[in-house]
Amino acid sequence: MRLISTDHKTIGINLGVLSLFYFLLGGLFALLMRSQLAEPNNQLLSNGTYDELFTMHGSTMIFLFVTPMALALALYLIPLQIGARTLSAPRAALCGFWLWVCGGLVMQSGWFTASGPGQDGWTSYTPLSTGSYTPGVGQDLWVLGVLLAILGMILIAICIAVTVARRRAPGMTMMRLPVFSWTALVSVLMVIGAFPMMVLVMALLYVDRLGAHIFTGFAGAVDYEDLFWFFGHPVVYVMFFPYLGAAAEAIAVGAHKRWFGYTAFVASMLAFSVLSMSVWGHHMFVTGGVTNQYFAFTSTLLLVPAGIEYFDLVGTLVGGSIVPRCAFLFGITFFIQFLIGGLSGIFLASPVLDYNAYGSYIVVAHFHYTLFAGSIFGFFAGVYHWFPKLTGRLLREGLGRVHLGLLIVGTNLTFLPMFFLGSDGMARRIARYPTHPGWAGLNQLETAGAGLIALAVAVFLLNVVVSLRRPRLAGPDPWLGHTLEWATSSPPPALNFTEPLPPIRSYAPLLDLREAADAAAAADPSDPVPVP
Amino acid sequence: MPVPTAIVDTRHVYDWVFGIYVPIGIGVFGFFTVTIIVVTVRFRRRDGRRHRLAGHNEANRLELAYAVVLLCIAAVLLDVTFRAEHLVDTASARERPALTVDVIASRWEWTFRYAGHGITHVSGAVGDAPLVVPVDEPVRFNLTSRDVIHGFWIPQLAFKRDAMPGTVERVTLDFDRTGSFSGACSEYCGIFHSEMVFGVRVLPDRRFDRWLARHGAGPV
Repeated sequence: MRLISTDHKTIGINLGVLSLFYFLLGGLFALLMRSQLAEPNNQLLSNGTYDELFTMHGSTMIFLFVTPMALALALYLIPLQIGARTLSAPRAALCGFWLWVCGGLVMQSGWFTASGPGQDGWTSYTPLSTGSYTPGVGQDLWVLGVLLAILGMILIAICIAVTVARRRAPGMTMMRLPVFSWTALVSVLMVIGAFPMMVLVMALLYVDRLGAHIFTGFAGAVDYEDLFWFFGHPVVYVMFFPYLGAAAEAIAVGAHKRWFGYTAFVASMLAFSVLSMSVWGHHMFVTGGVTNQYFAFTSTLLLVPAGIEYFDLVGTLVGGSIVPRCAFLFGITFFIQFLIGGLSGIFLASPVLDYNAYGSYIVVAHFHYTLFAGSIFGFFAGVYHWFPKLTGRLLREGLGRVHLGLLIVGTNLTFLPMFFLGSDGMARRIARYPTHPGWAGLNQLETAGAGLIALAVAVFLLNVVVSLRRPRLAGPDPWLGHTLEWATSSPPPALNFTEPLPPIRSYAPLLDLREAADAAAAADPSDPVPVP
Repeated sequence: MPVPTAIVDTRHVYDWVFGIYVPIGIGVFGFFTVTIIVVTVRFRRRDGRRHRLAGHNEANRLELAYAVVLLCIAAVLLDVTFRAEHLVDTASARERPALTVDVIASRWEWTFRYAGHGITHVSGAVGDAPLVVPVDEPVRFNLTSRDVIHGFWIPQLAFKRDAMPGTVERVTLDFDRTGSFSGACSEYCGIFHSEMVFGVRVLPDRRFDRWLARHGAGPV
């Protein structure tokens, strides 16, 4: 019954748990790749196997983990945060979930074909991915799998957007939407704006592979890149915003202070999303097929909304009463680590710098600092923050700190050397590299780092198992939360709220209640608690 | 860093822009990292003190002023970038090069054809005859691909350009020092992508002329 439930929480948890499984699978692919790259001219894996691994690593992480996990968080949390009892059009969301499940299975089923799974990278550029150069059913399954997964995610995104439009509780105006809900809403709007393009691209590619030869010659190659990146760049922001929102909620709650600069934050999110729909050509600086200055201009401007978020972060911390629990610490680390990804993105937005960095390990370092060192830390901030809400049980703080420490060391050990390897001329997507001074050592560091990341994830899984086996009950609101999901039981009942909702006068209604009580206590001289 | 004004090689332009972007980036990273850590430690909950009641939650004027500062930083970076791009574009569009080499990429080899001299070198999965060029002379490359997209990358020059099927991309590049360097394909092109590498030998003018005379069939 769980699998056909139309409860947004159940669909969200199903989507999230399956996504997490794909995180482990994609991580396994990464460990195999890092083993191959541990030595120069290593013969552990064949070229073909390595190509399949990097293709399926990227595809699994992007289409089956980071993006759907962002939607899973939104599915579970947005109705609760806006005080809705149900999701709009839940059957459509359920259908979307199953389309996505089918997409994942179809994509991974390529492993069981003679030709192997997809092997042209998650970008699957033409003409390489056309039938002439990549024959075989595995690549067909990849194309169809991506198409189905994307279709499913579009359906889910529409349901979430409609829910925000139609089901907000009385008093929950758009400018009182919690911070996470805003970030997730912006993401689902970008899904609706950009993902249909990917459906089109995959459909065209499939028809091309059937023998229609759509993407031919120079125009075909450049057109594919244009169409693909019109989806492919917005998707990286879909994979970023909700995790930013999760980190922001965890930090604000940990600081016992509402998120600072709400209006500017919302404005910057909107500017961010609009700009990020107009930067796709920066992936094509070296093709000679786009106007580089235009895309350099829009891409560099992204530093303005990004800068606002850091301002708001510091504003939130100043004057707070910070209790650095795991969720808070993961949130802070998210912001610090992501900074490396964001700043290297401004670097790559300069065509002249990109002429060297494109296609090299500099780019690999950059997007892993945004997606892994960024989004994954934000994801874990969200996990430590909302796990008690989902399960009614607290995760262990001690194991959480071990998890965090290992993850920080492992992440930087894995991805920092990539900047230097790329600067020194190491191309990405190569199955083996020659003996070149310095390369072996840096690659060994990265492989060791990948092992530490695996260990960190193992500690996290252990934490989940221990916390479920020997539960410490969380109660409805273990952190003194700010938003409405903390005004109901953990886990919430079928229709989310049994009690009447508190009055909603801001984006932190529960904090409003506590502050009003504090103010009343301060006004009462019989209260001994000093208020500075 | 002085602004390079004359036509220079791509590595110079790259180093100039790099020297501006990277210190700013490291500075910003250091500033925010230190600020976040200091503020977190400073505002840790201490015993007997409750949090400050609803104080300043917004500072929209300050945010606006800050956004203007950010815009100015973006403007400075873009100014540098546009000037650099102009230099590279101008240099790479130069006519009357000292030498023209046709670069034909195909899975998984590079064919360097010295049109008019009867020399053809092949590098990659099946050969290792390098690209040979003179130092400090503009060399025109006509890039194309016989099959999929490849990337013509010479890290020493900090420059690459895609070799695309169905078109010929023209770039004129300068090699400012003699020696042996490596080049690679920067666009994933299939199973032997990692073997699609080539050597670059940059020779002094005289030696290059001798090499051309010795290996070539002479002007055709």
